[in-house]
Amino acid sequence: MPPKPTKVTNQIRALRSESGQMTQADMAERLGVTRQTVIAIEQGKYSPSLEMAFEIARLFRRPLDEVFHYAGGGADNQPFS
Amino acid sequence: MNHELRQPEDDDPVVMTVDERSVWVYLVVVVVTSVAYFAVIIPRVLSQPVEDVSWIAPLLWAIGFSIVGTIVGSIVGSIGGAIGLAIRGIEPKGQLEGDLRDKEIKRLGDRRAAVVASSAMFGVLVLAMFGADLFWIGNLVYLAGVIGGLIETTTKLRAYRGGL
Repeated sequence: MPPKPTKVTNQIRALRSESGQMTQADMAERLGVTRQTVIAIEQGKYSPSLEMAFEIARLFRRPLDEVFHYAGGGADNQPFS
Repeated sequence: MNHELRQPEDDDPVVMTVDERSVWVYLVVVVVTSVAYFAVIIPRVLSQPVEDVSWIAPLLWAIGFSIVGTIVGSIVGSIGGAIGLAIRGIEPKGQLEGDLRDKEIKRLGDRRAAVVASSAMFGVLVLAMFGADLFWIGNLVYLAGVIGGLIETTTKLRAYRGGL
């Protein structure tokens, strides 16, 4: 059985293109991780830590929820109002 | 001839980190040494009483080869990876070292292997209670190490390839 992808999707690839052709290696260097990790995050195969997610969002000068989206949860997980 | 190395572009092939390479080496070493060990031991078990089977020396050789093979294989693999990148004109620095993801994958694999190890300890306890021959105790521990190694490595490789 293949491993399940994470429920967290992201816009990193698109944001990299928008921000003047930032390569995976550039981004990895700025975040202090490997290019393999950047690729795994982009492909939804690895959910970064909350801290790294904030760092990624800050790198693109975007709010966290413009970079990452959570696809999990149901009616029980709707915001409390 | 231009010897300047460049950073990888997005369409360059992805190389394995040193940690992932070591997992592959460990998997191969565990399979090769355990198959060799059991190929020596099983015919002996079938041809004579278990108490007379000489198993300590082959076991020590298998464990010794596993340790040395994993260390040497990992070093050779790392050097090979760096040379491979350099030949393609890519700067190896920053491409091979592990990071937080490697540590998380390591923890996951180690945890699965620990389950096998603790089960084996229980098995050893039962064998000792019933006064089983040392052959069975020693080989149960070795078998648990092999199974634990296989589970650990396949868990890690699955996480590396499929996702964590």
